[in-house]
Amino acid sequence: MPRLGMVIDLKRCIGCNACVLACKQENGTPPGIHFARVITREVGTYPQSKRTFLPVLCNHCDDAPCVKACPTGASYTRPDGIVLVDNDLCIGCRACAVACPYMNRHYVAPGLLQAGYDGKPLSPYEALKYLDFQEGTTSKCTLCAHRIDRGLEPACVVTCPTDARIFGDLEDQNSRPRKLIEERKGWTLLPESNTKPSVYYLDA
Amino acid sequence: MLTSYTAGMLAGFLIVMVGKNSAHMLFLGRPLRFWRAAWRPDRSWIARGIWAMGIFAISGLACLAPRLMGPAWQLPAGVEMLAEWLAGLSALFIMFYDGLLMSASPAIPFWRTPMLPLLVLMYATLGGTTLSLTLRGIMGVSDQFVPVLLQGERLLLLINLLFLGVYLLRMSRWAPASRETVRLLLSGTYAWAFVGIVVTVGLIATLLLSLAAEGTAGAWLLIVIAACELTGDYTLLLLLLKSALFTPQSAYPVEAVR
Repeated sequence: MPRLGMVIDLKRCIGCNACVLACKQENGTPPGIHFARVITREVGTYPQSKRTFLPVLCNHCDDAPCVKACPTGASYTRPDGIVLVDNDLCIGCRACAVACPYMNRHYVAPGLLQAGYDGKPLSPYEALKYLDFQEGTTSKCTLCAHRIDRGLEPACVVTCPTDARIFGDLEDQNSRPRKLIEERKGWTLLPESNTKPSVYYLDA
Repeated sequence: MLTSYTAGMLAGFLIVMVGKNSAHMLFLGRPLRFWRAAWRPDRSWIARGIWAMGIFAISGLACLAPRLMGPAWQLPAGVEMLAEWLAGLSALFIMFYDGLLMSASPAIPFWRTPMLPLLVLMYATLGGTTLSLTLRGIMGVSDQFVPVLLQGERLLLLINLLFLGVYLLRMSRWAPASRETVRLLLSGTYAWAFVGIVVTVGLIATLLLSLAAEGTAGAWLLIVIAACELTGDYTLLLLLLKSALFTPQSAYPVEAVR
């Protein structure tokens, strides 16, 4: 059984936010909703200080608490490990948003899809992309499942100018992400949550 | 139901069926799809709660109908006993399933403890006792349960105060996010509400008023006591929801990025 996931090499990440923009462009998320984000932090004290970058997205956990918390079955895990939401089943209870330790569930509030950025009327692009969302439901990163189904990699992976994101099957011993995790001791965010994330990080 | 007090039973039924359900419906992003929430009782506490509400609605009505509308609505003895048991058990579950729902979330350390359902249950018991006493006072009912309920209320106030302290102490030594939540409650943003309303008004003032009311309680004083206790009760629930923090994702090891 495949388990699609991603490795993010923090040594390569330069915090350019290209992944954030690529995700936004690919998925056309409404204002205020970012499936991909980059958390910036300052480490150390001057003059030995630096900025560090932590790109985050849905971890598509193997033991996803959002799926367990969903009372309707709207949140589900595909056989390849991708965690998705069926908008038609979601009732907007936000139990998934409370259950996700990574805060990667996004509530599409009523009225959010009625206007574009800065309150302007919807552009043709927004009008088309917003068809994938429903007000009063939650949405999340799909790992670009629509691209994967066509044999393509997620938009954030393809866009990364430094090749910091490596996508593949984590169950495949010979896949690049699997080898990198083993060679460079990949780690996951908040391991104490026991969610078994499919997004790994490599030390900078 | 334990004290066979019809007004109390009706009040409890209305609070759950009208108050709690209305609040749930208002919160949902897609309220017309609410019925779907009952689909996964095998894994979701919300779904289990919906089932409990449904059982409580039917069995509660079956218990209340003959009391309110006369013996024509009386059920056969066996069915009536079953309805009473179902109503009691589902009511007990509804009293603390909020706590179970919250403590099941791995994301928020302040909730991630078996102590939370217990705390919610104890507050619900206190609220029910207070309401039952107040209704009796207002309606001039003076049965053999009044002294028991009065003593029970005082005992519950003391136990809740103690348990709240133990809860905060435990959480202050649990995880960084729960520690920060305790700080917010005791000396941060929410201190005025927690210390001022939950502890001072909801527990201490209620206890003092309840002691002062010994033997001479007028209806107005009972209403003040109930208002104090219920305000503290709801404020605590609100604060549990508002103040509890997620563990920040940026809490990844600093060594990893040096």
